[in-house]
Amino acid sequence: MKKILAVIKKEYKAIVKKKSFIIMTILTPVLMGGMMFVPVLLMKVGRTEKKIAVADFAGGYYQALTAKPATRQEPGKPAFDLEDSMRKPRASEVAGLITFRQVLLNGREAAAVVREYEQKVLKKEIDGLLLIPADVKSSRQVSYYATSISDFATNSFIASTLRTVISQQLLLEKQIDPAVVREATRDVLVDTFKVKKEGTTKSSSGMDYIMSLFMMVILFGVLIGYGQMIMRGVLEEKNSRISEILISSAKSTQLFYGKVLGIGLAGLTQVALWILLSWILVSRFSGTVDASILTFLTPEIGLYFVIFFILGFFIYAIPYAIVGAAVNTDQEAQQFSTAIVWMMLIPYFIGFSATQNPNTTLALVASLIPIFSPILMFMRITASMPPLWQIAASIALCLLTIWGLAWLGAKIFRVGMLMYGKKPTLGEILRWIRYK
Amino acid sequence: MNEQALSLKDLVKDFDGKRAVDNISFTVRKGEILGLLGPNGAGKTTTIRMVMNIIAPDAGHIEILGKSFSEKVKDHIGYLPEERGLYRKLKVMDTLLFLGELKGMKPAAVKQRGRQLLKQFQLDGYEEKKVEELSKGMAQKLQFIATILHNPELLILDEPFSGLDPLNIELIKDIILTSKREGKTIIYSTHLMEYAEKTVDSLVMIDKGRKVLDGTLAEVKAEYGQKFVKIQYEGDARFVAGLPYVKSWRDSGREMEVELEDLAKREQLLRDLLEKVTVNGFQLSEPSLQNIFIRKVQEGEGA
Repeated sequence: MKKILAVIKKEYKAIVKKKSFIIMTILTPVLMGGMMFVPVLLMKVGRTEKKIAVADFAGGYYQALTAKPATRQEPGKPAFDLEDSMRKPRASEVAGLITFRQVLLNGREAAAVVREYEQKVLKKEIDGLLLIPADVKSSRQVSYYATSISDFATNSFIASTLRTVISQQLLLEKQIDPAVVREATRDVLVDTFKVKKEGTTKSSSGMDYIMSLFMMVILFGVLIGYGQMIMRGVLEEKNSRISEILISSAKSTQLFYGKVLGIGLAGLTQVALWILLSWILVSRFSGTVDASILTFLTPEIGLYFVIFFILGFFIYAIPYAIVGAAVNTDQEAQQFSTAIVWMMLIPYFIGFSATQNPNTTLALVASLIPIFSPILMFMRITASMPPLWQIAASIALCLLTIWGLAWLGAKIFRVGMLMYGKKPTLGEILRWIRYK
Repeated sequence: MNEQALSLKDLVKDFDGKRAVDNISFTVRKGEILGLLGPNGAGKTTTIRMVMNIIAPDAGHIEILGKSFSEKVKDHIGYLPEERGLYRKLKVMDTLLFLGELKGMKPAAVKQRGRQLLKQFQLDGYEEKKVEELSKGMAQKLQFIATILHNPELLILDEPFSGLDPLNIELIKDIILTSKREGKTIIYSTHLMEYAEKTVDSLVMIDKGRKVLDGTLAEVKAEYGQKFVKIQYEGDARFVAGLPYVKSWRDSGREMEVELEDLAKREQLLRDLLEKVTVNGFQLSEPSLQNIFIRKVQEGEGA
């Protein structure tokens, strides 16, 4: 028992002290957070104020553009909303950034106005010229002259405002109250409520989907990363020939389980630090972050994440360790590890559909297959809590598989560690398993 | 107390139908240095690996420190494998800590003895260096330190001198002799017989997987050593071959090596020589282990 602790300690320290471990531990939550917030921030920072000249040949439209837009008020909505930020910017945001200036027409032709303002655009006196022709009501066409015309937010703001004005005018002509039409065409919003045993909470479905995928990607990445770390570690011991000293000092099972546990603990440390750091980040910026992240990251989800991380770790780490012990070169190891990655990709792809339809037969059966369940069962739990017996069954099957793998792994490890130079055949590996 | 540190009985190992170790038996007494001698590929490493329970013998029996091999016995053995290797990224002291703890030592004890040994091997100051930063010779010394770190009763060293410079060979020899004085048992293999000649108490010679000779150094030398005479001379000495008490004769023109039937005849030989040739030198000679080995192998092939 003391010897297994020595192995765990050595493997754990070797990883945790590495610079790359420290960097990844700090950087990952920051990067992940960055991936969510930076595009939004960039959009806000990148959108500078614009001065647009309006040549209103039809009349009355300039006033409509400069009037305060009526937006649907959503009380209790935080200033920043993750899901919302991925949609196009709200009209009110755009409007606040544009200053319209009316062009005095003085009976000039449209072409003359364009010529004059082309110069002003080039000299950057103004950012653009909006030309509204007299027949805009029937042609539904305006022209916008600017050096930069890729600002969709501005374009769509102009288009939607003008459409509203035109439709209001048409309605007034037909003596229909615009308020009635506005009421008749108002959007229906779907508020999603997640029903759980502990109580129903309001949460957005988009948020759940994103978080589910997000945690699956983390689980997937971490499992592959640590699996390969074990494989390389075993291969290094074999290639540096230190394995003979190890085997002559301790039992092969102590060495094998110590290694897997030590590296597993390092992985768990990293995941725990990630959760902690993310939690700090989220709570630090909780004023600006949609509260649904917090409703998603319940302690329960956190617990399942840890359980399935541990199960998944052993299910994938042991095959990686076996590969490391059975092969002789990095190239051979790479071939085998690619096969393991493919195996892990299957639940990953099933997972995409499982988040949306977590209770199909495919999702149910696949999530009970031990090599898939660490990723798939966790996905289903995040999407909608499956019956407890299914979770228990998948955990039990995983444990059974781990027990079998551990037994097999220790045997192959014992012989493989001391076989140098020769590429083992499948028949030989089977013989190793029988070897006492 | 059992007097035997190690006993091998009828050990056999085949690799792919080829017999690597063929019925080898020998014993090692406690407190002695035993040399396992033989050319490359004789089966020395395979024998040692079976003793260390790294590979299983196909037949035969091994007793180590009075018992069959067990997990407990591992802590009392210091093993230096033929192929050296350490964790390249691990620091020197961390390497010793890990390997020492694997032998059941407490970290504090490892640190204390580790520092002392590093100093003895002129590696003090390298505690916090990574193994990959050490020179090859330094890494070899570190590996040797790791072997003796836990103060083992039995040292099993596979080719301990290979790859070392003369200074470090002397250092290792010193450590071996010191360990012997402390009552430890040391077994080492080498194909360099001149090194063995200076340190071993007993020896086992193996060739092509078979034991060709074993015994204490004194016994082996007594059996082969006392009947040889080396003579430097001038003149025609071919008549020596015909003398009745001469068993064998090897002439190199100005020096010859004569093997006598009986050592008592050496004075007779000197008298006979003085009659016919000028004798410049005459001395009893001990054949080197190298010569004994060659003779033994030739005898075996002749029989």
